[in-house]
Amino acid sequence: MKDHTVADSAISMVHVSKTYGDNLAVDDFTAAMAPGDFVVLLGPSGCGKSTVLKMIAGLEDVTEGEVYIAGELANYILPKNRDVAMVFQNYALYPHMPVSRNLAFPLKMRGVDRDSIRGRVEEVAALLELSSLLERFPDELSGGERQRVALGRAIIRDPVAFLMDEPLSNLDALLRFQMRDELLKLHKRVGKTTIYVTHDQIEAMAMADTVIVLKDGRIQQVGSPQDVYDRPANTFVATFIGSPPMNLLHGRTEAGRDGLMFTWKDHRIPLDHEGAAVATDSILGVRAEDAELTQDSGDGVLRGVVGLVEPVGADKFVRVEIDDDVYWYVRVSSVTRVREGEAIGVRIPADRHHLYDREGSLYRPEQGADRTTPGEG
Amino acid sequence: MTARRLTFKKGRLASGTTAYVILIVASILMVGPLFYIVSTSIKKTTQLFAYPPDWIPRIPFWGNYSFLLGSESLFLRWTINTMIVAGVVTILKVIIDSMAGYAFAKIDFPGRRVLFILILAVVMVPTSAVIIPLFLLVRGMGLLDTYWALILPPLANPVGVFLMRNYIQSLPRDLENSARLDGCSEFSVYFRIILPLVKPGLVVLGILTFLAQYTAFLWPLLAVQDETLQVLTTGVAEMKASIFTIDWGIVSAASVLSMVPITIMFFMFQRYFSGGSIAGALKQ
Repeated sequence: MKDHTVADSAISMVHVSKTYGDNLAVDDFTAAMAPGDFVVLLGPSGCGKSTVLKMIAGLEDVTEGEVYIAGELANYILPKNRDVAMVFQNYALYPHMPVSRNLAFPLKMRGVDRDSIRGRVEEVAALLELSSLLERFPDELSGGERQRVALGRAIIRDPVAFLMDEPLSNLDALLRFQMRDELLKLHKRVGKTTIYVTHDQIEAMAMADTVIVLKDGRIQQVGSPQDVYDRPANTFVATFIGSPPMNLLHGRTEAGRDGLMFTWKDHRIPLDHEGAAVATDSILGVRAEDAELTQDSGDGVLRGVVGLVEPVGADKFVRVEIDDDVYWYVRVSSVTRVREGEAIGVRIPADRHHLYDREGSLYRPEQGADRTTPGEG
Repeated sequence: MTARRLTFKKGRLASGTTAYVILIVASILMVGPLFYIVSTSIKKTTQLFAYPPDWIPRIPFWGNYSFLLGSESLFLRWTINTMIVAGVVTILKVIIDSMAGYAFAKIDFPGRRVLFILILAVVMVPTSAVIIPLFLLVRGMGLLDTYWALILPPLANPVGVFLMRNYIQSLPRDLENSARLDGCSEFSVYFRIILPLVKPGLVVLGILTFLAQYTAFLWPLLAVQDETLQVLTTGVAEMKASIFTIDWGIVSAASVLSMVPITIMFFMFQRYFSGGSIAGALKQ
């Protein structure tokens, strides 16, 4: 994604900021979205992800920076001339028009002749299995059907990019799962750049080619879903992505015999880490599936008590209470026998961990406690 | 148990009877004058003050009606005037107020809040307080004794703007945004998306405006002197004032006839009047 320049990306945003009064909603957003990419803007509610989408669509003005669509500066282009189509969270179907007219509307507004419109409507209706619903009005449709009409209205005019604002969040769990698959299939067939906003990390992981993680209007990390999961750039990404969130422990790093030594209270955890270490406060992060339960104690093991066992199908999540306010989740196979209340150890493997500095950014031993700015992911 | 139910029944019976008595008295109070007017309109002048009163004349006299509808009387002219004024005001008001309501609800322009507060402030000024300055203004513009004098001032009444603004504001913003991306200009958003969706609101505004114009009295009385430009309300009132001996039969017949158009309208739009009336229609 980084290799794409303004000229050859479908959409690119250069140092874009948006303020509402004194409130900074989007802060210095720079990203280039390659043609055909499925880009997911992921973040908690209020992180500015929908605002980014609306700025691309032209529904919100850009306070600072530039938005390019198909290589062209779009800041001053009206929404109707931007050649992007949007699917809204509440579908925004026109209630006074039947499905056929809803689908035809974008073409009609662009002065396409009647015969072409009819042909195109039939084509899109067939693609989305709406052919039998063309004469119905939106309030006579189910949630999933409305969703498909909204999609149809977006794809009917062949835009540069699709913008989707939490399009699945109003559907129930099963339907959401089905629509997710259909959306992906559709994306593969149509091959259009899609920018998809969601707060649901599972959706993001399942659908994205590229994930952009946002918090408080700032980009936290950009990368493939696997990348973002395996190498979270900071503790926010680490805890926001993955369920349960990554286990964290606030302690200190010191130089060990070979590599780093992480210390917390009287626990010592040796870590494989390249480079020379400087003694400093830091945060250790381990995913639930990377930690192991053990009866041992000693270096590399945190001792605690089993607080809760949550079976989740093939696995169990074991919540180990290590200290007041410090508890770690460990994922074990469902056949593992653990009792609540049992004293147990959590082994931290020396090679599968994440180390962050005191501010939560990735720790680079050779820089000591120097912060690296988030957003460079 | 049975005794209790019995007393309960009795209580309900008693309250039912009271309610009916009240309703009957109220109905007589309401229908009585109407009945009296209708009855007067089909009597000759000589029968009017007969004693005991002849409630239902054995031979109805249609002369009052034929006089009013004939060429000697200006009654038909006044009816047409009323229809023109009320109709034009209603159409213009529905257009202007829905546009202004759209602007206040959906377009972010500088000074929007201040302007809207000013409009609200105008709502609070009673008509009687502005009627003299309004008269001077209209006279200054040389519009006295024209249709314009009757049509223009009511257009400035801001209640409709307020009504439409609230109605339009309740429509989800995503709808207009979607229309904008689908290729609509600001005007087509208003015309193709918003207008069809606020139709019930437009009908309510139309009915309220038409009714207000149909029954308007004070302003038409001041604005128009010319006999041929009178509207029904002022025309009928003039009949009482100008003729030395008031012919109550003709005045009554004029009153009855002037109720006809508004009654027809009532039946056409009955569903908007009944069932919670305006509030119900506004919620769709």
